Amino acid sequence: MRSSDALVEGIRRVNRAPVILACVFALTLLAVLPFSMLMRNALEVHLGNSMAADHAARGVNDQWWTEFSAQAGPLGRTFSTTIIGFAAVLDNLSALLDGESRTPAVLWPGAGYLGLWLFLSGGILDRYARARPTQAYEFFAACGSYFVRFLRLAPIIALTYYALFAYLHPVIFGNLYEEITRDVTVERTAFLLRLALYVLFGSILVTASIVFDYAKVRAVVEDRRSMIGALAAGVRFVRRNAGAVAMLYLLNGLMFAGVLVLYALVAPGAASSGARVWLGFAVSQIYVLARLWVRLVFFASETSLFQGRLAHAGYIAGASYKRPEPPVVERLVAPDSPW
Amino acid sequence: MLRRTSMLSAIALLLALAPAAAQGLSPRNANYTIDVRLDARSRTLTARETLVWTNISNAPQAELQFHLYYNAWRNADSTWMREHTLTTWWGQVSARRSEDFAAIDVSSIRLTGSGAAVDLTNDVRFIAPDDGNTDDRTVMAVTLPAPVGAGQTVTLDIAWTAKIPRPFARTGAIGNYFFIAQWFPKIGVLDAAGRWNCHQFHVGTEFFSDYGVYDVRMTVPRGWPLAATGRERERIDNADGTTTHRYYQEDVHDFAWTTSPDFIERRDRFEQTGLPPVEMRLMLQPEHASQAARHFEGTRAALRLYGEWFGPYPYGHVTIVDPVWQSETDGMEYPTLFTAGTWWRMPREDTYLEDTLIHEAGHQWWYGLVGTNEFEDAWMDEGINQYANARAMAEAFPEGRVVLRFFGGFVPWVIDDAPWDRVLFGDILAGYRRGATTDVPSTPSFKYWPGTSTPNTYAKPSLWLHTLERALGWTTVQQILATFFERWKFKHPRPDDLFQIANEISRRDLTPFFDQVYRGSAVFDYGVESVSSAEAADETFLSTVVVRRHGDGVFPVTILVTLANGEQRRFAWDGSGRWHRVTVEHTSRAVSAQIDPDQTLLLDTNFTNNSFTTEPQSGRAATKWAAAWMVWLQDQLLTWTFFV
Repeated sequence: MRSSDALVEGIRRVNRAPVILACVFALTLLAVLPFSMLMRNALEVHLGNSMAADHAARGVNDQWWTEFSAQAGPLGRTFSTTIIGFAAVLDNLSALLDGESRTPAVLWPGAGYLGLWLFLSGGILDRYARARPTQAYEFFAACGSYFVRFLRLAPIIALTYYALFAYLHPVIFGNLYEEITRDVTVERTAFLLRLALYVLFGSILVTASIVFDYAKVRAVVEDRRSMIGALAAGVRFVRRNAGAVAMLYLLNGLMFAGVLVLYALVAPGAASSGARVWLGFAVSQIYVLARLWVRLVFFASETSLFQGRLAHAGYIAGASYKRPEPPVVERLVAPDSPW
Repeated sequence: MLRRTSMLSAIALLLALAPAAAQGLSPRNANYTIDVRLDARSRTLTARETLVWTNISNAPQAELQFHLYYNAWRNADSTWMREHTLTTWWGQVSARRSEDFAAIDVSSIRLTGSGAAVDLTNDVRFIAPDDGNTDDRTVMAVTLPAPVGAGQTVTLDIAWTAKIPRPFARTGAIGNYFFIAQWFPKIGVLDAAGRWNCHQFHVGTEFFSDYGVYDVRMTVPRGWPLAATGRERERIDNADGTTTHRYYQEDVHDFAWTTSPDFIERRDRFEQTGLPPVEMRLMLQPEHASQAARHFEGTRAALRLYGEWFGPYPYGHVTIVDPVWQSETDGMEYPTLFTAGTWWRMPREDTYLEDTLIHEAGHQWWYGLVGTNEFEDAWMDEGINQYANARAMAEAFPEGRVVLRFFGGFVPWVIDDAPWDRVLFGDILAGYRRGATTDVPSTPSFKYWPGTSTPNTYAKPSLWLHTLERALGWTTVQQILATFFERWKFKHPRPDDLFQIANEISRRDLTPFFDQVYRGSAVFDYGVESVSSAEAADETFLSTVVVRRHGDGVFPVTILVTLANGEQRRFAWDGSGRWHRVTVEHTSRAVSAQIDPDQTLLLDTNFTNNSFTTEPQSGRAATKWAAAWMVWLQDQLLTWTFFV
């Protein structure tokens, strides 16, 4: 199977399971809602009966903004101009690549969301691997079944990313970057050097991500119990199909970039008020939906590529999760049973 | 004994015969002729300097004191380096290599003139008048064989070498870019009573020196463009592959220069009716070639506005230096020359460039022409200039927007909906709020807590000047500063000189205000506590507004009450009590109240509590911004989960 075929198949599988997209979107919304309510409460309390709220409701009231930040707690201090429109996306990507730490207040929802995502991953991969509709019970049974396995994989994932950000990143963007730019006096040159280092670090990050993705895919498709085995199998698959895997990732990456470019063009500003606020919010949520869709296509197309390369589309070793029959049915089926 | 008597006689003769500098715009009591050679490869300077110094104090002086600023980076034990550990400026000094440090060594100092020279080299010693740090070598003292009487002049011939640092505090070299400032032995300032004002180099403060004439020959590799304080008078190509540039400038108190083979040069001319023309010379980095017009535009705005507001720029020429990336020499002023600062990607909405240009060009007035003591009264040049800078930006470049920078600072992103307000948003108010009580501004600036000296030096005086402008009117404040400029150009004023002029021009006793903002660290915070209405007789309402003074600062304020029918009532309050109540009896009830509605008191640290409405929109505003923040958080989570 070619990468492009895997991509098309992945898109098809994601589009045929809109409930999954809707669920992860709802999850993304629900995960941040309590924290957003906290933030809203903090903002409202600070504004109180102040007429500064009128200005803030219409646009950017920079004076109030800095006053709020000056007295805010850790969560409130994340309320900066970087949240406006597409700047939010750049801020998060930049923070990731530059290894900027975030306040622990944001890490909590992050940790919770990552846990939920890990839980759902098994069910999502199972659904995409089967390429046919599944019942909610089957989906959540798969989630539960694979969650235990993925939990065993999680420390390896966490340790890997920790090592990348805590040790490798400072070496690349601290020591190495400072060394190679020590006598650079042309900003453009420095930028190109930094770009090259982003590519270097990003490639390592992506490689790790791909290996973990295929480890999960193999765990689900081949019903692997051993996560070490799944990881090794993931590495083997990536190594033996490096070209196809890389090309598929590139195609997916282009879709991701496309979503970002589109959002950059339509991202809402801060000057709106009334209904335009909600219109802007809706646009932002469509962007979030699109980001989730792209992430699911990554999953689905990787699954599809694996199945296409090693078996056939729709192959999955594990049996479907069947709901146990109620006791009354068992009684009817087996009347001699003492139960 | 006989020899000593003869020597003293000779010195007396020397003192008597030494030529005094011709009178010009300034006292010209510290005149330098310097011949310096740059070895670009070893990053060293070798120089001879002739100083003709006149004692313009009222007392004889038997000792001379000199600044040797480069010794601030001689080792980790200098006062500058020790103070640096208390700040976040200038990057991580601990990461510097040994070759990044600097030094200046005087190899010879002789008293010369028309008679026999007297070698004073062995009389040199280092002193630390500010903190007694024996490891600090930034101030050198030399005892003269005989005192220099009031009005007398001495000539000193000084030979020295210097190791140029990787840039510290806006001087040094990186790659082939050399920005040479605070580089020569510079005599301190003797006050009228005959006391030396020659401070050690501190991390939080800058410089102070007397006016004079500078005649400087700089020998650099041939083909390297060079710019310096003053105008080029001569250029000689030497046989050894070097070129000697001679620059000359009268009536300035410092001299800086820069050279790099990569500079491209542009020239333009400032012309404005009522102001003298100024030749503008721009030394630009090739990657910023497309920004040449912006550099001239910003400089032109400063020359026009500062010239019209305070007084004309007298030198007829100015040099703008665009420093190289990561040189840390951007945004710095020297007489007739200043450094700007820009990025390769610089959207038009990002007015940081224009802001820097106006600020540093503005220092030609507030630092260059009015020679305040930056060691002790740093706010006098930075604060006044910050204030004027903000005014000029609002007038010349009002279209600026907040610009965020991502990916190591290389990628700009314009927030179209967030206009840039130099007064409120340029970290001025926020910065002041953070450091409002850390120091009393009348404390000598070099004694400020280094971590928060910037708010007291820049933000607070700028804000109280804006406050005065809003209270007294721009015309009055402009006249105050213009008078201050006119009376004190080419001199060394102190804060009381400014305050006296402010009282004189405004015809008010502003002392209580200056006591709070300069001689104290009072925090201003007024707020509206409540607005309530009760039905009274005859279908009228009795509305009551309670306002409070939360801070210790006192300022007369206005209370504006708005009624349901749109009518407004203004009340004056002297602001002295802890609370105040106003009542309105009207057929309409009060719906809102504001204290200081025109935001006259820009020093108010909490403006959000300055108003109160009975129909608050806080829920609407909070929902809007919480929704925006929510999207940011969602995006953050999606970015993280991309790898899980």
